[in-house]
Amino acid sequence: MEARSLYIPAILGTTRQGRMSKHVAQLMVQEIGKHSQVETELIDIGDLPLPTNNAGEGIKDSTFASKMDRADGLVIVAPEYNHGYCGLLKHVLDSCLKEYVHKAVGIVGVSAGPFGGTRVIENLLPVMRELGMVNIFWDVNFSTVQNIFDAGGQLLDSAYIHRIEKFLKEIIWMAKTLRYGRENIGL
Amino acid sequence: MRSTEKMRCPRCGASMNHHADKIVRADGMNGTPLPDFEGVMVEFHSCPACGANASRIEH
Repeated sequence: MEARSLYIPAILGTTRQGRMSKHVAQLMVQEIGKHSQVETELIDIGDLPLPTNNAGEGIKDSTFASKMDRADGLVIVAPEYNHGYCGLLKHVLDSCLKEYVHKAVGIVGVSAGPFGGTRVIENLLPVMRELGMVNIFWDVNFSTVQNIFDAGGQLLDSAYIHRIEKFLKEIIWMAKTLRYGRENIGL
Repeated sequence: MRSTEKMRCPRCGASMNHHADKIVRADGMNGTPLPDFEGVMVEFHSCPACGANASRIEH
């Protein structure tokens, strides 16, 4: 039934210098890549040439929009800053709409403290809904992220691999299901 | 008033599936605002042949 591979990129949702979330995003891409029916890549919002003197679809970047159009699901790696998400992540997400509608999304929370980005995940949920995406109900929470990776980005706690796999199984299921729905089930 | 005409895929030309509607502010959508909703009703379509997504303003 599935002639086309699923495409589930991971978005690194911060541009801060010294961001530990980059290690998390790279780990997510590595783990997604272990699924033979899924293509993925890392999308670093810091690499996107989006101006800040306008917003919304008025600043749409054709390369990013094309990737969102192709995507069947998104993994968003979101560090928690003052209980919220990075403003530039919202700026990037707001640049598209039709590309997201009825697609799966899973959020990976990252924090330097003990709560693993649970608050940033909760804060992103209404945004995901308004963009038309369908959030899975498994998250990955990286608490005290500075202790989970070494300086070179190597994972120090293998327990995360099992948690990530649970998350990926659900987002892949949701991505397949929603693709079928988008393409075959009308209103 | 919803169009009954199937949308054609802008990438491959196949008939698309209409799977969502949303009221969107008219800014940049090249549509006439609906006074009651301060926006336009946008239809979202996906292509079963190639997976492309497209939208159009409901008329």
